[in-house]
Amino acid sequence: MSADASETRTAVIVAEKLTQKIVSGGEQIAILDGLSLSIRAGETVAIVGASGSGKTTLLSLLAGLDSPTSGTITLAGRSLASLDEDGRAALRAGRVGFVFQSFQLLAGLTALENVMLPAELAGRADAEALARDTLTRVGLEARTGHYPYQLSGGEQQRVAIARAFAAQPEILFADEPTGNLDAATGSKIVDLLFQLNRDRGATLVLVTHDMSLAARCDRVLRLNAGRLE
Amino acid sequence: MSAPHTASTWRFAWQRLRRGWASGELRVLVLALAIAAAAAIAVGLFTDRVRLALEAGAGEQLGADAVISGRDPLPDPQMAALRETGVRIVSVTSFPSVVARVDGEDTQLATIKGVDTGYPLRGKLLLTREPFGATETAPPQPALGEVWVDLRLWTTLGLSPGAKLQVGTAALEVTRIIAEEPGRSGSFGDLAPNLIVNAAALPATGLLGPGSRLQISLQLGGTRAQLAAAEKIELPPGFRFTTPESAQPQVRNSMDRARSFLNIAVLATILLSAAAVALSARQYSQRLRDEVALLKVLGARRAFIRRGLVLQVLMLGLIAGGLGAAVGIGGQAVLASLAAPVLKITLPPPGLLPLPAVLGLVLLMLAGFALPPVLAAVESAPVRVFQRAADREARGVWGVAAAVIAVAALLWLQAGSLKLAGFVFGGALATAGVLALFAWLLVRGLAGIRARGGIAWRFGLGNIARRKAAAVAQIVALGIALMALLLVTVVRQDLLATWQNKLPPTTPNQFLIGILPDQIAPLQAFFKARGVPALTPQPMVRARLTGLRGTEVNAESFEDPETRRWINREFNLSWTAAFGDDNEFIEGKPWGDEARGQPWLAVDDYAVERLKLKLGDTLTLDLAGTPITLEVRAVRKIKWDSFKPNFFLVTPPGVLDAEGLNPPLQWIASFYLPREQRALLRELIREFPNVTALDLDAALNQVRGIVDRIVGALEFIFLFTLLAGLVVMMAVIEGSRADRVRETGVLRALGASRRVIRQGLIAEYAVLGGLAGAVAAFAAQALAWALAAGVLELPYGPRPLLWLTGTLAGAAIVTAAGYLSLRRVLNTSPRTVLAGAA
Repeated sequence: MSADASETRTAVIVAEKLTQKIVSGGEQIAILDGLSLSIRAGETVAIVGASGSGKTTLLSLLAGLDSPTSGTITLAGRSLASLDEDGRAALRAGRVGFVFQSFQLLAGLTALENVMLPAELAGRADAEALARDTLTRVGLEARTGHYPYQLSGGEQQRVAIARAFAAQPEILFADEPTGNLDAATGSKIVDLLFQLNRDRGATLVLVTHDMSLAARCDRVLRLNAGRLE
Repeated sequence: MSAPHTASTWRFAWQRLRRGWASGELRVLVLALAIAAAAAIAVGLFTDRVRLALEAGAGEQLGADAVISGRDPLPDPQMAALRETGVRIVSVTSFPSVVARVDGEDTQLATIKGVDTGYPLRGKLLLTREPFGATETAPPQPALGEVWVDLRLWTTLGLSPGAKLQVGTAALEVTRIIAEEPGRSGSFGDLAPNLIVNAAALPATGLLGPGSRLQISLQLGGTRAQLAAAEKIELPPGFRFTTPESAQPQVRNSMDRARSFLNIAVLATILLSAAAVALSARQYSQRLRDEVALLKVLGARRAFIRRGLVLQVLMLGLIAGGLGAAVGIGGQAVLASLAAPVLKITLPPPGLLPLPAVLGLVLLMLAGFALPPVLAAVESAPVRVFQRAADREARGVWGVAAAVIAVAALLWLQAGSLKLAGFVFGGALATAGVLALFAWLLVRGLAGIRARGGIAWRFGLGNIARRKAAAVAQIVALGIALMALLLVTVVRQDLLATWQNKLPPTTPNQFLIGILPDQIAPLQAFFKARGVPALTPQPMVRARLTGLRGTEVNAESFEDPETRRWINREFNLSWTAAFGDDNEFIEGKPWGDEARGQPWLAVDDYAVERLKLKLGDTLTLDLAGTPITLEVRAVRKIKWDSFKPNFFLVTPPGVLDAEGLNPPLQWIASFYLPREQRALLRELIREFPNVTALDLDAALNQVRGIVDRIVGALEFIFLFTLLAGLVVMMAVIEGSRADRVRETGVLRALGASRRVIRQGLIAEYAVLGGLAGAVAAFAAQALAWALAAGVLELPYGPRPLLWLTGTLAGAAIVTAAGYLSLRRVLNTSPRTVLAGAA
C-alpha cells in the first residue's frame, strides 16, 4: 500500500518502506519488511496479526519509541528520522497518549499525579485541572489520592485511560488494552476508550488479538510476516 | 559422590556464578563481604602489629625485654641458671654519690651508673657533644677514663667538653652529654641528675665499699621462650623480675582502649555489611527460584542443586575474602602510617595471625546471611514454571535463627569480650531504633513538600514515599555511618574548642616541682624580676595510709584494683587556710586560719569514691615513720582544668608541718608563661637546678597529638562503615532496579526527556541522603550535648551549621552513589513498556 498526496495532507501518521531487522543467532531476521501505511486524523485503526507478526514492533516505531532499520515515519507532521531520542520524546509529550496492556502506572504517584504526568511533561500549567476533569470522566473522581496498589485492575486501567486522554493528545496508541482484564471489565474499558476518543477526536491506533475489539475500529490492518495483508 | 558428578556440580556452580555476576545482587553481596573483611583485616593486622611493637616498645621504656634487680649481685646458682636460658645479659650498677668538677667547688648529688658493654639492650642511648647539639648513637659503653653526663649535671656544674669530673677517688673526662636514655621516664621520683661510666671503672672510684647504696640491674633480652624460662628462675628475697607489662600497665591500658574503639568501628561496618549481604542474598534467591524450578522440571535433583549453590556461595566468599584481604592489607598500612608518629617505634611487618579470623568472619557472614536465603530457593516447586503463584515460599525460621546466631558470633569474635559485644549490640539496636523512628517521621513529613515542585521533584519524592520501609532502612544504615564520622570529626573538634574557649587565656601552662622550702623566697624574687605574676607555691608532703576508721589497712584490704594501686603509691598531701575557687565544697565548709593545728582533712570526691569516705571518718597516715590521725571534715570537688596544684587530701596549716614532725617536704607551683618568654626556663634551671619545670603545653600537645592519631585511625575505619552503609543502599537499589527500568520506560514513552528523569533520580537521592545526613547530625549533636552536659560540664548549644553540613554532605555522597548505580537505567528504551517487547 502506498500513501497518495491527498492522504498525506490530512494524515497524522505516515510510514514508508519501513523495515526493521534484528540479528539473531548470526542471522538477520526482518521483523518488518518494507511496510508502508498512512493513518488520517481522527481515524481509528486496529493492527491485528499472529504472535510474532511484528505488531508491537510496528507500534513502537510509529510512536517513535524505537528507530527503524530503514524507511521513514512522519508523526504529527514531523519526520522522526530528523529527531534524536529526546527530540522524539519531546514530540510525544502532550501530543501522543498511550494505553498499555499492563497499565504501567507509576507506583510512587497517586492516581491524580499519574494522570497529570503527560500534561506536565508537555509543560501545561492546567495539568491538574485537566487531570481532575478526565478522572471525573472515567468515574474515578473519588479516588484521586489513591496509589495504584490501592486500586483494582479495572480501576487501574481506567486511570491509565484517563492518563492517555488527559493532555488531549492528537494521537493515542493502545497496546492490547484489554489483555490483562477479564471479559466483563475489558468490555467496559473498551466502551470508555471509544467514547473518550469520540469526544476528544483523537486518532486511535491499537494493537490487539481481540477481533471483536478490532471490529469496532474504522480500519483493520492485518500483519503477516512483517507485511500488511 | 562420583567424580563426573562432582565435576558437573563444579561446572554448574561456576556457570551459575558467571551468569549471576551479571546480576547486580551478587556484585553487591561480594562488595559487602569484601568491605567487612577489609575493615576487619586492616584493624586486625594493625592492632597485632602494635601489640608486637608495644611489647618491644615497652621494652625500650625499660631499656630491656625484662630486668632482674636487687641490692646485691645475683648469687651464682641463679646467675648460672639465667645464663643457661640463653638470654643476653647486660649488667648496670647504679648508686647515688656526690660528684664535683675537679677544678671547681660546686658539688652535686648524682646517680652514677656503671654499665657493661651493650648498654642499653633495647632502645637507643643518644648522646650530643654540646647542649641541644646534634645527637649520635652511643658506642656500646664509655671508654675507661670517660664519663657521659646528663644535661642537668652539665648545667649545674657548668661543665665543658673535656672537663674533669671527680667521681669518688677517680677523675674522669666528660666527653658526651646524654640526650635520650631508655628507661629514664622523667617521673617525679627520678630527680637526681645522671651520669654513665664504664662498669670496669667503678672499682677505681672506691665507691663500691660497704655502706654504698647499690642497685644492681640485669637487663635481659631474648626470645619469648628464653624470657619465660628466665622468669621461672626462683630469685632470692630482695630480687625482683620486671617485665615491660608490669612496669607500664597504663601504656597497655590505653592501647587496649584504642583497640576497643577500632573494634567498635569494625563491628558497625560488619553489621551494616551483614544487612547488605542479607538483602542482596534474598533478592538473588527470588531470581533463582525460576531457574531452580526449571532445573527440577528438567530432572535435576535437589541435592545436586544444593551442592551447586553452596559451592557457588563459597566461591563468592573466596572472591570477596581475597578482595577484602588485598584492601585490608593496604588499609593496615594506612593505619600504621597514621599511628607511626605517636608510637615513635618501628612496627614489625604484619603477621598472618589475624587472617584465619577474617576467613572465619567471611564464612560466618555467608553462613548466617547468604546461605539460608539462597538455599531456600532449592525448595522452589517445579509447578512455578507454569504458575508462579502456585509456588508458595515457606517462611524461613531457620534463616532468622541463622542470622541471629551469626550476629551474636560476629560480635563475640570481633569484640573479644561478651561485655563489649553486648554493649555494641545494645548500642547499635538503640541507635538504629532512634534513627529509624526519626527517619520514619521525616519520610512521612515529605508528603507535605511533595506537591510543591516540578514533575522531577514529585517523581523522585514519590519513589521515597512508595518505598517507605526501604527508605527508612537506607537512612538508618547511612545515618549510623555518617553519625560516626561526624562525631569523630566535627563534633569532637567542636567540643575541644568549646572547652579551650572556656579556659582563661592565662591558664597556667608550667609546673614547678621539687622546690625546697628555702628556695621559695628566691624563686618568687626570680619571677618578680622577670615580670611574671606572683608565684604561690603549695606544700606537698608524702604519706602512706595505714589506718581507716580506726582499723589498720593496706592495699590488700581493698578489692578494687584502682584503689589498690592508689594505696600502693604514697599519698600526696598539702595544707592550706584558703581554698581556691577551683575547689567546690560538696559537704562541710572551707576553713580559714582559725583551723590551724586541727587534725582535719578536706578530701576530694575521688578519695571518697575509692575509700567510701563520709564526714567524721578518720584516716591514719604514716609521715616518715610518725603516725598521724586525721578526721574528714569536708568533701570537695576539684576542677582540675584550672591547672593549679590541687590535692586529694588537704589539712589546715600547722598539722603536717607541726613541731617535731619532719616529713619530706617540697613545694610545687604552677604559672602561666607566654610563649615568647620561654627562654626564662633555661635561666630557671641554671639558678635552681634541683627544681624541675614541666611544660604543660608540651605535655598537652603530646596528648592531643596521640588523640588526633587515634581519631585519625578511627576516621579511616569509619570510612569503611560509610562504604558499608552505601552498599546497603546499593542492595536496596538492586532490589528496585527492575521497577525503575520499567518506570523509566513509561516516562520516556509519555515524553519525558532524559534530563527530567535524571533530575527525578537526583531529587530522590539528594533527599534520601539529606535526610540520612540530617538524622546523623541531630543524633551526633544529641550525643555531644549529653556528653557536654553530663560528663564534661560544658555549655553546649545547638549547632545549626552542623545540621547543614551533615545534610549537605549526606545529600552529596548519597546522590553521587545513587546516580552512579542507576545511571544506566536512564538509558532504558521506551520500547520496553510495550507488551511482548523484549
